[in-house]
Amino acid sequence: MQSTFTGLEIGKRSLIAHSKGLTTVGHNITNASTEGYSRQRVIMQPFDPLYDPGLNRENTPGQIGQGVTAVSVERIKDELLEGRIVSQNNMKGYWENRDKYILMTEQIYNEPGEFSVRSMMDKYWESWQDLSLNPNESATRQSVLQKGETLIAGIHQRYNSLKETRDMADSDIAATVYQVNSILSDISNLNEKIVKIKAMGDNPNDLLDRRDLLVNNLSSKINITVENRDPDEFQVHTEGLHLIQGRVVNYLSTDVDPVNEGYSRVVWDKSGEQAFFKGGSLASLIELRDGDLREEIQKIDLMTVNFIDNVNSLHRKAWGKNGTTGNDFFREYPFVTSAEGNYDRSGDGEFDSTYIFRVSGTNSLESEALIGLRGTMTLPGPEGNIDIDYFPTDTVSDVLDRINNSQAEVNAVLNNENRLTVRASTASDINNPDFAIRHIEDSGEFLAGYSGILQSSGRDGAFDWETAGASALLMAGAGDNNGEFAVAPLSHPSGWIEVNRAIKSDPMSIAAGFGENGRPANPGDGSAALAIASLRNKPLMIGKLSSFDEYFSKTVADIALKGEEAQVSLETQNLIMKDLEDMKQSISGVNIDEELSQMIKFQHGYAAAARFISEINSMLDTIINRMGV
Amino acid sequence: MKRVSTDMSNNDMNYHLRAREKKLNDIQNKIAGQTRIKNLRDDPIAASHSVRYKSHISRLNQFADNIGVIQSRSRIAEGYLQEAVGIMNRINEIAVQGANGIYQKSDTIIMGDEVNQLLNELVNISNAKSGEGTAVFSGDKSLSNAFRTLEGYVDGGGKSVITSVEYTGSVNPQSAEISEGSYIESNFPGNRVFWAEEQLIISSVNSDSFIVKEDSSILIDGEKIDLKEGDNVHAVIAKINDSGVPVKASIDPVKNSLMLVSTEPHQIWLEDAGEGNVLKELGVVSTINSKPPHNISTEARISGGSAFDMVIKLRDTLYAGNTFDTGSGALKGIQNSLNHLISRTAKLGAGDERLELVKNRIRFEIPEITAMDSRETDIDLAEAITELKMLEHTQTASLQTAARIMKPTLLDFLR
Repeated sequence: MQSTFTGLEIGKRSLIAHSKGLTTVGHNITNASTEGYSRQRVIMQPFDPLYDPGLNRENTPGQIGQGVTAVSVERIKDELLEGRIVSQNNMKGYWENRDKYILMTEQIYNEPGEFSVRSMMDKYWESWQDLSLNPNESATRQSVLQKGETLIAGIHQRYNSLKETRDMADSDIAATVYQVNSILSDISNLNEKIVKIKAMGDNPNDLLDRRDLLVNNLSSKINITVENRDPDEFQVHTEGLHLIQGRVVNYLSTDVDPVNEGYSRVVWDKSGEQAFFKGGSLASLIELRDGDLREEIQKIDLMTVNFIDNVNSLHRKAWGKNGTTGNDFFREYPFVTSAEGNYDRSGDGEFDSTYIFRVSGTNSLESEALIGLRGTMTLPGPEGNIDIDYFPTDTVSDVLDRINNSQAEVNAVLNNENRLTVRASTASDINNPDFAIRHIEDSGEFLAGYSGILQSSGRDGAFDWETAGASALLMAGAGDNNGEFAVAPLSHPSGWIEVNRAIKSDPMSIAAGFGENGRPANPGDGSAALAIASLRNKPLMIGKLSSFDEYFSKTVADIALKGEEAQVSLETQNLIMKDLEDMKQSISGVNIDEELSQMIKFQHGYAAAARFISEINSMLDTIINRMGV
Repeated sequence: MKRVSTDMSNNDMNYHLRAREKKLNDIQNKIAGQTRIKNLRDDPIAASHSVRYKSHISRLNQFADNIGVIQSRSRIAEGYLQEAVGIMNRINEIAVQGANGIYQKSDTIIMGDEVNQLLNELVNISNAKSGEGTAVFSGDKSLSNAFRTLEGYVDGGGKSVITSVEYTGSVNPQSAEISEGSYIESNFPGNRVFWAEEQLIISSVNSDSFIVKEDSSILIDGEKIDLKEGDNVHAVIAKINDSGVPVKASIDPVKNSLMLVSTEPHQIWLEDAGEGNVLKELGVVSTINSKPPHNISTEARISGGSAFDMVIKLRDTLYAGNTFDTGSGALKGIQNSLNHLISRTAKLGAGDERLELVKNRIRFEIPEITAMDSRETDIDLAEAITELKMLEHTQTASLQTAARIMKPTLLDFLR
């Protein structure tokens, strides 16, 4: 039989449900601008009606409704959309960092402008031109010295700024790893709570929002995929490995990489193995530090080392105003003290490698002469050695072009005495040293008897850097006076380049003339100054680039194109992210008008229920007080 | 139907305002800096072109400066040369007059005195200094005099006079770069300018069995000529004749020895490079090592002298009253030197003309390339300001709309 107070119960349920609704509206409104918040809805259902089938079922028509109840509070969210946001945010994180760092690098160039290394070098060459016109003057020598020092300051400035940027990327990497770890630990804590709350049958909406936000944050740093299939075990993967499995976390860590100048390496905390990532800010920072910024430093190093070598080798042969000769204009710091270039790489107390930067042949060649030889040269490439063929119909310049246009990490030119000169360039593999020739071999006679670089052809006569004393295999190393070789310079020449102290203390040592037949230069002899000044636009081969002009314009174009790409990609990514965020907002965002109308709805519902209770109340009053029992 | 949440309009406004403010800031910076390329990424290709143009312009300016210096130097030299030509003309007149048999010895001695004075002046001119204090006619020995005089007594002269004039400069001309990879001489060795006759050097050593013993080089007028082991005298001669120096080598038919003749009047400089001794073995250069030009073997026959030698010869014949010699050898020598001086002056003028041409080309080229650079990097102000104005308008409009859209909510109507 139906209870007398059923009405009151129904009214009470309605009051409770509507006030829950009102509370949720209040929650929504107050969180309208909370990041990552999804609006929530109270799900109302009619309360179980009377009667369920059973023996004690009253035999009256049914079912009689029992009012309303709030069954759950749900957040409104599109999980698929969330997945897309996670993956796109990863790319945004990548480009955001790249854009920032490339812009910093661009600004280091100071181009096109008055204060770039290029314009300082232009002024340096011009000072040599002036000296060639007035070789007997002291003032022009002072000017050469001062322009040289300005140029060096410019090169140092470029190097230091690049190095600082690279250091900054490195400390950013460490900071990012720290952030990733703290996000991971937050997510695992949330996982634990969420599982507990779900076990109680409740919806931990706010915690879920918070976890989504953290995952989103994480995805901007490293590339992740989220797996939500198992309700008890929320999983985050990266590159096929578990980052998070419920409460279990795989943390990242950093350690020092001795091969990479002591910069940090990202490793898995547990196994100590190197961790690799594809997108996100962490991968972009690693790519910048070990790719773009390293290359930038290599470029300025390459330019500097060729600049020093070319200026010095002319300057050494010329005579200063004070009658001295054999002076270097720029100081050279060799990588190894041994004149043969021997070096102990493994550190076991015995020489095991040979570091040679430049070697020239003993024979003077003509660039347009047919070589009439056939063979295959083996030279160091970016990954292992590469073979370059030459044929009897080639001219000397054809063969040089073929070497210079190949992947080989050496270049070949005829020096000012027309002897073949092979110079090492930078190494793209981080495990190989810059500015060291790693291999020279020729199955035929071009590099051997014809040009006089190697003593003999074939495998037995090959020069290889991984054996000590290999310089003895070179003609120049065997004591032939015409050829010469130079040991590798200390790494990062752009960091240490200095004007030779002898020149600084006495600018009259600056040489202007070559002299004649071994006699000191006459006061009006500007031949050496002119030769140095015309290095400016000579085909010297700076790595794969033919001249200084070419070098400056190519490096500017390179970094500018990288910057343009980063900027465009970031803009595109921002737009994609904005569209996705808009879609998310459209689904999950709070609309105050909507909430207010909901509020009015619930208010009215609440008022109506109260009214209903008061109606039942008066009914009960009639029964209890007016029946006059 | 798409739902719009309250945050969205705010987000949208922020996004667009930020994008536009960045554009506004960029364009303002570009207008203020007068450049299209604030960061290299603004136009990578233009930036890399501009870098090339700027270096090219600085190089052209340097060439223009070089040309200016060389031109003023060669004009100074030309001035001196013209003066020398004037003096030689006067000497020539005296020579013609002195060759006339009607004068007595006392008259020709007076003529000789005049020639002697003119000779002194000629030597002064040959030792001329430019405005920078460097010698004009001494090759690259720019701090010393080009010519050195020796004095002594001459029959009929009465007092100490110049008896010989020796060249003390060098043969290496100074050169300067006047355009990409092209050079011009900026200094004029006196042993070319003040020379009268082709020089002839004949060795006295029979060269039939001569063979070059090891690879070595010889220097003729400062030019290096490489010789190979096993070359015989004919190979050496062929190499000298092919080398482009104004010297022709041949075999003296009488002694079978090496004979060198200059193809234009100048002093021949001979030297073995380094440790070599080819020229010594051929008997051209003395075995006692000394510097040219005073190292010709004493055994070798040498002829052909400088303008000074000719003037001295004339003076001495005048002092001696030897009309016959005055009219034959001395007059011929004077005329030779005069002709050569005039041709040298003409050569200077031709060089000056070349410089003028190059200068004009550079003058034309600099503004051309500056314009190209400007096209790549400078901002088009009209366009930039139009764009700025457009951005300003859209900025105002969007702010106004934002203010209008964001104001009313349901809250405003609830009581």
